[in-house]
Amino acid sequence: MSKKKMTYYPGCSSQGSGRHLDESIRAILPDLGVDIVDIDDWNCCGASVGNIGGGPLPNLALTGRNLAKAQEEGNQDIVTGCAACYLNTHGGNEKIKEDVKKRKQINEALAEADLSYDEDLDVHHVMEVIVNDIGMEKVEELSTNKLKGLKVAGWVGCQTVRPFAETETGGKYATYEDPTFLDEITEAVGAEVTDFAPKTNCCGGSVAVMKPEKTLHLMKTILDAAVESGADVVSTPCPLCQTNLEMYQDAINKEYGTDYNMPVVFPSQLIAVAMGKDKEKDAGLQRQTIRSQKLEDMAK
Amino acid sequence: MTAPIPTSKRKYDLNFARWVRDNVAGGDKMNMCMQCGTCSGSCPIGTEMEDGPRKLFMMIRAGMKEEVLSSNSMWECTSCYRCVVRCPRGVPVTYLMQGLAALAAKEGYAPKVENNYFSKFFWMSASKLGKTDERLVPTAYYFSFGFVEGIKRSLANLKIALNMFKAGRMHIGMPHKIRDTKGLQAILAKAREIEDRS
Repeated sequence: MSKKKMTYYPGCSSQGSGRHLDESIRAILPDLGVDIVDIDDWNCCGASVGNIGGGPLPNLALTGRNLAKAQEEGNQDIVTGCAACYLNTHGGNEKIKEDVKKRKQINEALAEADLSYDEDLDVHHVMEVIVNDIGMEKVEELSTNKLKGLKVAGWVGCQTVRPFAETETGGKYATYEDPTFLDEITEAVGAEVTDFAPKTNCCGGSVAVMKPEKTLHLMKTILDAAVESGADVVSTPCPLCQTNLEMYQDAINKEYGTDYNMPVVFPSQLIAVAMGKDKEKDAGLQRQTIRSQKLEDMAK
Repeated sequence: MTAPIPTSKRKYDLNFARWVRDNVAGGDKMNMCMQCGTCSGSCPIGTEMEDGPRKLFMMIRAGMKEEVLSSNSMWECTSCYRCVVRCPRGVPVTYLMQGLAALAAKEGYAPKVENNYFSKFFWMSASKLGKTDERLVPTAYYFSFGFVEGIKRSLANLKIALNMFKAGRMHIGMPHKIRDTKGLQAILAKAREIEDRS
């Protein structure tokens, strides 16, 4: 693959709970052949409750502004690392592209800030770019610091694969019930894939933030399986999955009498470590609230 | 979105179903539902719902407006999209659940449902600052249950907050915000105006 340029949408979690996702994505993409330029002054995507809190069209206008600002950076495609950002930005973009009336309405709203969206950009998830555009051979080739002996449970979650499953522009992963790309990344970085069944289980998403007591059992199912599979770490591409599964382990232990202390990392962090990048500045390993000594010992 | 909701007079009153069809995005696909229950069976959080999606769709057909709009079901949806990919009839279940929640909020049914507070505070942050503040949104939500409950819930999450702060994933100080908050607010106000007039 020749060098590719994409416009990057970091999303709100990149400045908070998901800083290590953002940092590791920025660290690995250029080496993997993708140069990124940020959307200038990007705003929130609306996540999963913007539709309810703000109403459908104002929620879509959040995406409209991001698309208009992305267009100012050039007509290359957009990439984001966050599942909710992908869900809203990709979904909203497709809606605007196929519905002339919607595009007109969004542009009428955007005109209030002297913005417009008239391009036909495409929006991709960073996993999709790594799997389909960059390819595993490239990841494997650049993984010179192989993570030998690290056992990884690949937990894909929901919104990365499901919302646009089997649509022409959405994802192109092998399947949405049993996706294999996380395991392929694990193998490409020289780590070991564990036999982990609930790979597309839900952690509770924003309901876990609101009412953790209702979703602890969902996260326990995931932890049970990860521990039973002998995993050293769980790898997940979603910032909300990562934060939920990490921060609620205390509550799960208290509720169920377990003693889980399972690190949850992003595949982009594993790639960064395998590429021999700096363990803090690039891989963001110090941002784990549950740290993996084994992974940190492998890091440069 | 300004049409009045028809009231049900008979046991099977399709007026409400027609109204939902015309006023909820994707509502036209609801009549594809054949009541197989794959959605409710696939739902990770169905046990927390008073009515799963399958039952909710049947209630809509039965014209049970009050029961549907005051149900907690759509507010428990985690947006996992398992029902969407598994529905054999192509009903966009998750989207309909969100649409029904938005409708219930708009019609004044939702305030008693606590998730509505969360989406309100979330929208306040997204629309005023242009960004989600991961500290303010949950905290405002905790205190929507009253001062004592707010303190209680905040304390319960104190250790999590401290861990996040130590890891540099939560900051102290002013919320992050976009530069052009004025422009964003003008865009959103206009979008609201367009939605209300159409």
